[in-house]
Amino acid sequence: MSRTPSRAAAALRALPWIGPVLVLIAAIVGFPAGYMLWTSTRDLSAYGTDRGPAGWANFRKLFALEELPRILLHTLAWTVAVVVITLALSAALAQFLNKDFPGRTAVRLAILVPWAASVVMTTTVFDYLLDPDVGLANRFLVDIGVLHRGFGFTKEAGPAFLVAIGVAAFVSIPFTTYTILAGLQAIPAEMDEAGRVDGASPWQRYRYLTLPQLRSAMAVATVINLINAFNSLPILQVLTGSIAGFDADTTTTLTFKLIRQNQQLATAAAMSVLNFVLIAVIIAIYVKVIRPAGEEAR
Amino acid sequence: MKHPLRGAFSSMVLATGLVLAVSSCGFGGDKSDDSDPNTLSFLAPVYSDGTKAEWDKIIGDFRKANPDIKVTLQTESWDSINDVVRTKLQSKSTTPDILNIDAYSTYATDGLLYPAADVVDPAVIADIQPGFAKNASINGTQWALPLFASARTLFYNTDLFAAAGVTAPPKTWAELTDDAKKVQALGNGVSGYGLPLGSEEAQGETSIWTFGAGGTWSDGDHITVNTPQNLEGVQAMKAIADAGATEPNPGATNRADVINAFIQGKIGMIEGLPPTIGQIAQKNPALKYTTAPSPTKSGDPSTLGVADHLMAFKKDGRKQDAIKKFLTYFYSAPVYSGFVSSEHFIPITVSGAKALADDPVTKAFATILPSAKFYPSNNPKWGAVQGAIRQQLGTVTQGADPAAVLQKIQQAAS
Repeated sequence: MSRTPSRAAAALRALPWIGPVLVLIAAIVGFPAGYMLWTSTRDLSAYGTDRGPAGWANFRKLFALEELPRILLHTLAWTVAVVVITLALSAALAQFLNKDFPGRTAVRLAILVPWAASVVMTTTVFDYLLDPDVGLANRFLVDIGVLHRGFGFTKEAGPAFLVAIGVAAFVSIPFTTYTILAGLQAIPAEMDEAGRVDGASPWQRYRYLTLPQLRSAMAVATVINLINAFNSLPILQVLTGSIAGFDADTTTTLTFKLIRQNQQLATAAAMSVLNFVLIAVIIAIYVKVIRPAGEEAR
Repeated sequence: MKHPLRGAFSSMVLATGLVLAVSSCGFGGDKSDDSDPNTLSFLAPVYSDGTKAEWDKIIGDFRKANPDIKVTLQTESWDSINDVVRTKLQSKSTTPDILNIDAYSTYATDGLLYPAADVVDPAVIADIQPGFAKNASINGTQWALPLFASARTLFYNTDLFAAAGVTAPPKTWAELTDDAKKVQALGNGVSGYGLPLGSEEAQGETSIWTFGAGGTWSDGDHITVNTPQNLEGVQAMKAIADAGATEPNPGATNRADVINAFIQGKIGMIEGLPPTIGQIAQKNPALKYTTAPSPTKSGDPSTLGVADHLMAFKKDGRKQDAIKKFLTYFYSAPVYSGFVSSEHFIPITVSGAKALADDPVTKAFATILPSAKFYPSNNPKWGAVQGAIRQQLGTVTQGADPAAVLQKIQQAAS
């Protein structure tokens, strides 16, 4: 505790060096966040004119939405499903790409392709593939006699939501795979050899030797995927945007609908604040429960 | 010294950045020269591939006659124009002087617009057909200038009708369901009736049906969504969907989808719009089709009429003369009728209707126009109600109770 004053003095001495960064953070993070909070307490017209303070009215209106609990559940299902599927598939892929085999570079590049395309583009391709009348996937199923008439995979809330989860995992895999691959490459080969000598099975070697070493890479991949999946708008917008009702909505698409359809900018601002709080809480819990490697060393 | 929350904090900072990158809206915007009273900014939606060229030509011709007035045009797709307007209205310097859009009432009631009489010559006001002038007025003051009209009418595929053994177009809902079932029974991926209740334009299709049961969305002052007549219309839509006489998943089908499917000969009947005639001529001229009045509950004609509007923003009030010159020029019969016919809509001025008497679109739609009812676009609450219809109504074909859905939409008007 006696170190506190000297720490304060040290911080003060460091100020000229970290000052610009603090200013930058205040300008590009602090100000918009503050502005968002401010907006959520204002009474806004349908086209954004500020009519004065609204107190908690926007939040009351938001919590009065009878669909809100259901949408929060969807958000949870969506985020967990996308992150878990992405991590599982990426870990497998990264393990495969870590092996030396002919053409490895080409395969590694191929994995990057979905990352290079915009999410809207990728999603639109899936949307067309699954179109009930002209989609290739449906045409194939009709031609081989599985279906009598194209099925609306993206036309009903339930199936469309599942398709969207698949697409979200598909577009997240490149980044996640490369993060985990980087973690794998940092593991010395001797460890695996030692395990082999001791007679551990491949699964045991992966579970008790590789996985613990991947902790920090996995943690980074998880946090970034959590944020990405939670905030993802384009995939659900393209695949489920035309479906009536809220059966395939997450909090992010609800925000979008509040602005575009309900014309309630102020309620949408309140929703943004709630969204922000939710993601902050989720990540705080995650970081607290699974502390990334390195944290416990300090 | 441990800082268990440092990781959490830095992640939160990261999260903040990402959340805001996604959700933050623009500050500022483009600055055009707004100080010159003879420079007008004009924001218009894109109706067709030719819209921009058409406006450019009108503005060019106007410039020749009035060299001192400059009109700068910006066109936006219907998808994004509402967002663009919202952004532009944040500041006086970016607010357009003239705006072309569907709804005008919130701007009018907030005192942002010139009354129509202040921005065109009296002759133009007198030339506008009375029904449209009334639809552009609130409490007796006309705030916007109707640009042109659109209405819906039944388009039916005569080849499919012949194959299914249907001889005349349906007049009532009962006949419609019957005929749709016969066409649907042809198989081969053909649907009987195209029912677009997806989130794009559900209010249009719904209005045709509720109006067809004698319903209306407003009693003059109040929005009336959950009335017995409207309920009857919605139940009839649900019934034809439940009868399996429509395309699959009407609750997720957009208007553009059914129009395209009709053009490809995959749907027996749809409620089409004036531009549909042009689209068919362009994409599939071989399609055999005819139009007929929309079927209703009793068989009496009734349909939905829609008018888009031009409105002028007052701002500091220095551009009134320039705006008046431009709009008066635009509504002169040759300029106006040229624009309307190139966009394949229906003229709303008496002189324009005369000039276009032989136009195929005007011919197909002019007869039903007197029976058309409009959205209550002079009610500021209508925007939110329309959004709620788009959002909710399609759920009736997914098992939701029509009365409960209408009740929920009614709440959007409160």
